[in-house]
Amino acid sequence: MALQNPATATSKVALKELTKQRLRTRLASFPWWLAAIGLIIATTLYLIAKSPSFNEAFSTIRAGIGVTLTITLISYSISLIIGLVTGLGRVSKNIGSQNIATFYVETMRGIPMLVSIFFIALVLVPGAVDLVGQLGTKLSGLGLTGIGNMLAAANNRAVSMSLRAIIALSITYGAYSAEIFRAGFQSVPVGQMEAARSQGLSHGQAMRHVILPQAIRNVLPAIGNDFIAMLKDSSLVSVLAVRDVTQIARLYAGHSFRFPEAYTTLSVMYLTMTLMLSMVVKLIEKRISPNGQ
Amino acid sequence: MDSSRLPVLIEVKNLHKWFGDLHAVDDVNLSISQGKVVVIIGPSGSGKSTLLRCMNYLETPTSGEVWFMGEKLTTDQKDLNRHRAEIGMVFQSFNLYAHLTVMENITLAQRVVKKTNKKEADAIAMEQLHKVGIADKADKLPSQISGGQQQRAAIARALAMTPKLMLFDEPTSALDPEMIKEVLDVMLLLAKEGITMAIVTHEMGFANAAADEVIFMDYGRIVERNTPEDLFNNPQSDRTRLFLSQILQK
Repeated sequence: MALQNPATATSKVALKELTKQRLRTRLASFPWWLAAIGLIIATTLYLIAKSPSFNEAFSTIRAGIGVTLTITLISYSISLIIGLVTGLGRVSKNIGSQNIATFYVETMRGIPMLVSIFFIALVLVPGAVDLVGQLGTKLSGLGLTGIGNMLAAANNRAVSMSLRAIIALSITYGAYSAEIFRAGFQSVPVGQMEAARSQGLSHGQAMRHVILPQAIRNVLPAIGNDFIAMLKDSSLVSVLAVRDVTQIARLYAGHSFRFPEAYTTLSVMYLTMTLMLSMVVKLIEKRISPNGQ
Repeated sequence: MDSSRLPVLIEVKNLHKWFGDLHAVDDVNLSISQGKVVVIIGPSGSGKSTLLRCMNYLETPTSGEVWFMGEKLTTDQKDLNRHRAEIGMVFQSFNLYAHLTVMENITLAQRVVKKTNKKEADAIAMEQLHKVGIADKADKLPSQISGGQQQRAAIARALAMTPKLMLFDEPTSALDPEMIKEVLDVMLLLAKEGITMAIVTHEMGFANAAADEVIFMDYGRIVERNTPEDLFNNPQSDRTRLFLSQILQK
């Protein structure tokens, strides 16, 4: 009878313990949340394929994806330009532009987005259009009929709700991205500006060649996340009766009373889009970080 | 001294700089003749860096005048940019453009300010990189090279503009000890070449070897100025003596 070697026995126990621990850490680091989201998406897809009511909901709501994406993309591009200019104003030494920029940012940040969309689309835009029209009439009266008549033709009916939605989202988000850009400019050490100025570059040249490229690199992840946020917030334009996915889902649910079908499909649609986008953002982040730092 | 026969390159007259309540530079007069190396020493907070930064108006003096090549510096940006293109500056924290390679760091101002074409700017950059001994790092980003190499790249960047005057603001203070020598060697080389330099530093050995004149500053004032031999061996003021004994004991 050979007795079991006690040393081997303990090492076997230790080995078992080790495997257990490894399994535990592996289980702990597994993205369960992502699996759960995947399961939800898969289940919904299954329902859409198999259940006629889900299928009907999906094929109806799907028609709004184009509007949602178009409005998001256009508003986002405009808001980036507004944000960049406003961000520059925020860090400007010029007291006038600094105050104008800060006024705009603080106003927008102090108003709920839903309210600012109402305000811009239903008060600001019509007001501006009326103003342009009056200016046109005045110019015509002064004899400048060419440009005058053109401006006088400005009519609120001509400004569609989709366009107003784009204007509203751009102005609202411009203030948010201005803050991102401001942080980006401030993240570039002052020594960079000093070095550039000490070499004879003007303030503008230093901004363009030294500060801006570094600032933009620093804010790229934040700007990417902003795009995802905008995609979600674009659902607010449904209050202007713009036929984006949310509006169509609301209409569909309203007349069919299929609330679970409509809003489950709608939620999963947004979830899928934002999930894919955030993966793209993470990819970009990874690509720029090794060189950036 | 034969310095009286050489043309004065930069002259500081009755310069004062206040930061709020702090009188950082207190009535400083200073002139540097062509080809001379002036080293400014003194305890931290004595105003030596501020004085240096006033010489290219990176800091605007509260009062007083700075004359460079016979012209008075003003806050007129156009004039200032023109003068700054001829005054090279090297910073304590290198301040290389972080998003550009070493090569691009050296060509940027040439191309933007002097409108030099790319080929010529590249050639000048390579020449300067050879001089400071890091030609093999031309395509590296600043973050990919050592501190000593970064500072040498920064020197090359300043030299590429063929400056009339070089300002060094504590160029070795942020460096690990083993990298100080490689930077000082480059600066010594420039001194031998006859480049006019104003240097704020704590490196007394370097001051002794390279300086034509050493200036000791304390509380924003010039306390004493002399040749390195005389200032180090025979300081006239008690404050200078105290400072030197503290620094040399280390």
